Amino acid sequence: MTESILFLITFILYILAALFYFGFLFSKKEGTAKTGLSIASVGFIIHTLALILRTFESGHAPFTNMYESLSFLAWSSVFAYVFVEIKYKVRKAGAYLMLIVVAVMAIASSPLMPKEATPLVPALQSYWLWLHVSVTLFGEAFFAVAFITSIMYLVADSREKEGKARKSGLTSERLDSISYRCVAVGFPLFTLGGIVFGMVWAYKAWGSYWSWDPKETWSLITWFVFALYLHTRIVMGWKGRRSAFVAIIGFLAAMFTYFGVNYLITGLHSYV
Amino acid sequence: MKSLIKFFSSVRLAIVLLIIITIASIVGTLIPQHRSPAEYLDQYGQLANLLIRFEFTTLYHSWWFLGLLILFSLNILVCTLTRLSPKLRRVFRPSLDFEKKSLLVLKVNKRIKKNKNLDQSHDELKKELTSRHYRIKEKKRDNQVFFSARKRMLGLFGSDLVHLGLLIILLGGIISGVGGFGTILQISKGQILPVPRADFDLRLDKFETEYYPSGAVKDWKSTLTVIEEGKQVLTRIIEVNHPLSYKGYVFYQSSFGWDWKNPTLEIWANKNSDPGFVKKIELKIGEKARLNDDGFEISALHFVPDFVITENNQIATRSLEPNNPAAFIEGWQGEEKIFSGWIFAKFPDVDRIHSSRETDLKLELKGFKGNQYSGIQMSKDPGVNFIWLGCSILMIGLFVAFYWPAKEIKVILEESQGRTELIAGGLAPKNKEAFASEFNSLMTTLGRSK
Repeated sequence: MTESILFLITFILYILAALFYFGFLFSKKEGTAKTGLSIASVGFIIHTLALILRTFESGHAPFTNMYESLSFLAWSSVFAYVFVEIKYKVRKAGAYLMLIVVAVMAIASSPLMPKEATPLVPALQSYWLWLHVSVTLFGEAFFAVAFITSIMYLVADSREKEGKARKSGLTSERLDSISYRCVAVGFPLFTLGGIVFGMVWAYKAWGSYWSWDPKETWSLITWFVFALYLHTRIVMGWKGRRSAFVAIIGFLAAMFTYFGVNYLITGLHSYV
Repeated sequence: MKSLIKFFSSVRLAIVLLIIITIASIVGTLIPQHRSPAEYLDQYGQLANLLIRFEFTTLYHSWWFLGLLILFSLNILVCTLTRLSPKLRRVFRPSLDFEKKSLLVLKVNKRIKKNKNLDQSHDELKKELTSRHYRIKEKKRDNQVFFSARKRMLGLFGSDLVHLGLLIILLGGIISGVGGFGTILQISKGQILPVPRADFDLRLDKFETEYYPSGAVKDWKSTLTVIEEGKQVLTRIIEVNHPLSYKGYVFYQSSFGWDWKNPTLEIWANKNSDPGFVKKIELKIGEKARLNDDGFEISALHFVPDFVITENNQIATRSLEPNNPAAFIEGWQGEEKIFSGWIFAKFPDVDRIHSSRETDLKLELKGFKGNQYSGIQMSKDPGVNFIWLGCSILMIGLFVAFYWPAKEIKVILEESQGRTELIAGGLAPKNKEAFASEFNSLMTTLGRSK
């Protein structure tokens, strides 16, 4: 019960953080964004407590059904954002990222999502559950930040071309470079958690490290898209608009792997 | 040959192949794979034949998909090798023959004029670079000193390791595809089963299902004994996520099922006229049991776990799960058959019994016991060690490439009339922004002490 109260407090704090960040978009006062960051950080700590409580109450990793894994995705996205914000001061991105986090939390808390912790089916009883899911979602959280900064890049770029935006602060060039940094952090994590740990676990549980199951295939497709992003960028020197589009497609592919495959295509991997 | 190498060394080709493979992979998730031709005909109509002919229905195992993967492997191999030797030279034999011009076209570069002589500037530069953990090579020529300062140069080989890892994974995949083999063994308690394509047998000593208090399945556990040339070699309990590995064969707990060939039924006979009367009978299929002293007997002829009547009025079982268990029974008085028909465990009030004369009896199917068998996925995969090796190399490569970025600063110090000019340029292929700020802070420090 306490877990759901903590979840609710977290949800409210994330909404407040999003409001402050949106306030910053209009007021342009550094202080507003900093308040947003502080609130998001407090929310993150309470969210962490909620996840720990959930783990103790259910006796298993806090991402075995949709409610839990959405909550964990929101948590890792806030983590990735706070990390990027402290490192690169991308204040504005906070508004959009917190908006997505609030949306994810809202879906998680909708009455359609069963919230009670159910006992694990035999296949999920493995420490690989922890490794596979948490590392993958951390990778995807960084893809989420890259997605936001890429969209912001596209907006900033067209405004700069029209001569509307000042060429200072969070310039399009800086956004482009930050979104590359996020992909560079997320890609090794996604590869390790999503692909490699997934293969090891599949081998241990199903007897085959790769079965071309739709979820496996889609995680490979996501990997291919980000591999394209890196090669076009590093070897062929793509930057800016084209790169931003590839990063956006990559994140959408990751999200399709995460949600779409479950609801649209059936396969082996039908847990979450 | 040369033009072939040139063709395969193109990054453009890699990009095109990657896009094609990605699209093909997507298509494979949209068309259901490995179904029967009838299903495709049903879903796609005329198109079905074309899909089957071009192996879109077994896409990931098709010749053209394998062909794409082989082309891609060759591409990766040639791309990596052709870029490797200049890279090796750059790392292990850094050239100190560069010119001012070539430094000033680098992404980060700087010119500083200093009121110090060459030796002073040289010592200062060396101290600053060393304190930032750069390793330095230098060369003096006339009034100039050439510096090459580098760190984390192994980071440059990250991408090569990634490619090597990928190639090993693809090789492992091919070995698995050619030499791998897997099947599901259904084995009942006490049964000894020869393992296909192996020289040993497997015996199931015990099979149990563990339940949560809610009734959901918690785990399946099979106790397996490996028997080789008549001798018991080892006994191990396997459960989901904890397979048994023996001589390259791996046995996984994958499912369980019911063997309904010879179940034991429990039938209760009640009398309509006497609600207190109940007679419990246990019998197997084909057996007859005496109901009372006046010679009335009942027998069970068939049992189905999941009763269903098909379109052409046949009795069948929908599945092997005991969802709607039913038994076909007969009642005999001496040589005369009094009744026969189906009774249902879940619907005691419904029956499909035809009687030749009125009876006072009401029969209920109260219990049924089949044998549980254990479903064991067996596989032999000679490629799997290549896969883990490839994955390890790939991951090391990725972490080296992205978290251990190579940095290189080249500097020319040139003295004229007691003053020194410093020309510097920097390179960091993976981590441009962080490197630029490091470079700028170095240049600020150097510029301050004029």
